[in-house]
Amino acid sequence: MFWEEKIETASREKLKSLQEERLAETIERAAKSPYYGKLFAGQRLKMRGLEDIRRFPLTSKDDLRASYPSGMVASPFGDIVRMHASSGTTGKSTLVFHTIGDIEKWTGLVARGLYAVGVRKSDVFQNMMSYGLFTGGLGLHYGAEKIGALVIPIGAGNTQKQIDFLTDLKTTVIHITPSYLLHMGCLLEEKGLSPSESFDIKIAVMGAEPHSEATRRKLEEIFKIKVYNCYGLSEMNGPGVAFECERQSGLHLWEDHYLAEIIDPVTGEALPDGEEGELVLTTLQREGMPVVRYRTRDITKFFKGKCACGRTHRRIARIKGRSDDMFIVKGVNIFPSQIETVLMETPGVDKNYLIELDRKEGLDILSVKIEIERNYFTGDLKQLRNLQEDLREKLRHVILVTPFVELVEPGSLPASTGKAKRVVDKRRL
Amino acid sequence: MGKQLSIFVENKPGKVNKITGILEKAKINMKAMTIADSGSFGIIKLITDDNAKAFDILRKKNFLVSLQNVVVVEMADKVGAFHKVARILEDGGINIEDAYGFIMEEGKKAALILKVMDSDINRAEGILKENGYKSIENFNV
Repeated sequence: MFWEEKIETASREKLKSLQEERLAETIERAAKSPYYGKLFAGQRLKMRGLEDIRRFPLTSKDDLRASYPSGMVASPFGDIVRMHASSGTTGKSTLVFHTIGDIEKWTGLVARGLYAVGVRKSDVFQNMMSYGLFTGGLGLHYGAEKIGALVIPIGAGNTQKQIDFLTDLKTTVIHITPSYLLHMGCLLEEKGLSPSESFDIKIAVMGAEPHSEATRRKLEEIFKIKVYNCYGLSEMNGPGVAFECERQSGLHLWEDHYLAEIIDPVTGEALPDGEEGELVLTTLQREGMPVVRYRTRDITKFFKGKCACGRTHRRIARIKGRSDDMFIVKGVNIFPSQIETVLMETPGVDKNYLIELDRKEGLDILSVKIEIERNYFTGDLKQLRNLQEDLREKLRHVILVTPFVELVEPGSLPASTGKAKRVVDKRRL
Repeated sequence: MGKQLSIFVENKPGKVNKITGILEKAKINMKAMTIADSGSFGIIKLITDDNAKAFDILRKKNFLVSLQNVVVVEMADKVGAFHKVARILEDGGINIEDAYGFIMEEGKKAALILKVMDSDINRAEGILKENGYKSIENFNV
């Protein structure tokens, strides 16, 4: 029942020595990149064990952005075969570069995870996640293809076509966001169809959006399928960093590829095993762009004890939240600062604003509420409508999601002094 | 030239009531009101017997309010009276952006409020004067 039994069930001692060896290689390789080369100048690069990693500074998303476009690339640029990107907190995207070896290893990790939840050569895998710069689509596509499944690269959206293919091709495995699967369930019921009897789906792999155990159970019940959680982030390749096994009891973080630490998000200090904190990851096998001590901003903890499945790689808990203010809408990462920058650059918009997240018919809705500046208001309705339209377009361009822009009366939004709560999330997931 | 108040309001119950209540308390007499609606919000346009005072009070109450220049013209309260004014302005090449009115004396006098481009206001009043119409500056008399 293993894709790579030897490594998946390797002893902890074996994994540790593998990590030590690969960490040493990673540090040396990272030092070849302009960013880490400068950062590590004067540091002893030779490693004395895994704990020695704490000598090195943490890498943040801002560091990644500051090294835009390719300051962290450690391989000759000619060896790079692929690039992915995710949104930055402001302005520029953060880019991640892969060699052919990196793509093969990432593909292997995804295959490992998919195999662990029961995906086989005979399966039909409908990939309902966005393709393109976002890693969710291509990452799972390659992994499922590696196993030998028939992969349908349909991407996200276009529900009727999704349903056609699910039916006509007898899809057995889907890769989907929880909000979209919920939406599909509602849609089928509205049409008088039973979600559990309409298809041949056995397994849903869910990612890209944090969701609760209750949502998983609900979806399993509606569709009569098994739902598995998959974790990843573009800076660490993308999906496949950690994957549930059939036991559904935490996500195995593949420790032959990543060195994980849990830190206190405020002090940055390492926390003892089993305590909840921010996950920090170091790539152990990446050639193109090694990343050392990356702050994922995701809050989780390590489970204690062994998993009954026999895999020895430690398990992390479902992501509980973020240590920054990033939120996810329709699978897209958004920072309030991106929205704030647009608002503050637009004449007529007052300084108070509120971002509201809600869900209608299973789909995320993003509303941005703003007040109008006193001296801007002339009493002309057209002026306000144009402002609304203009803001919607500008925001869509920056955050890649079309928001509702709502104009509200002065004084109805939280004041800008102190720590005003700028994001209200009314979604239940 | 006359003035009208424009007040931004969210499209929610009780919003008009709040404004009329404030004006009543301040003993300001409302002459005419109209609402331009744009879905979740709208703009109330208002003429009172003391627009400057109403503006100050509403602004103090934190409303988004502005004073706009309008042409307020007195005309007869009879069939075709508005048409005559409209034609005079059309002949003068003046575009009417918004218009509303109210009766001042049943069967005798009515007030017509016209929003034209700011750059057209003086000319509009001039043309109307030439044709024997009286512009009303304010109702506080």
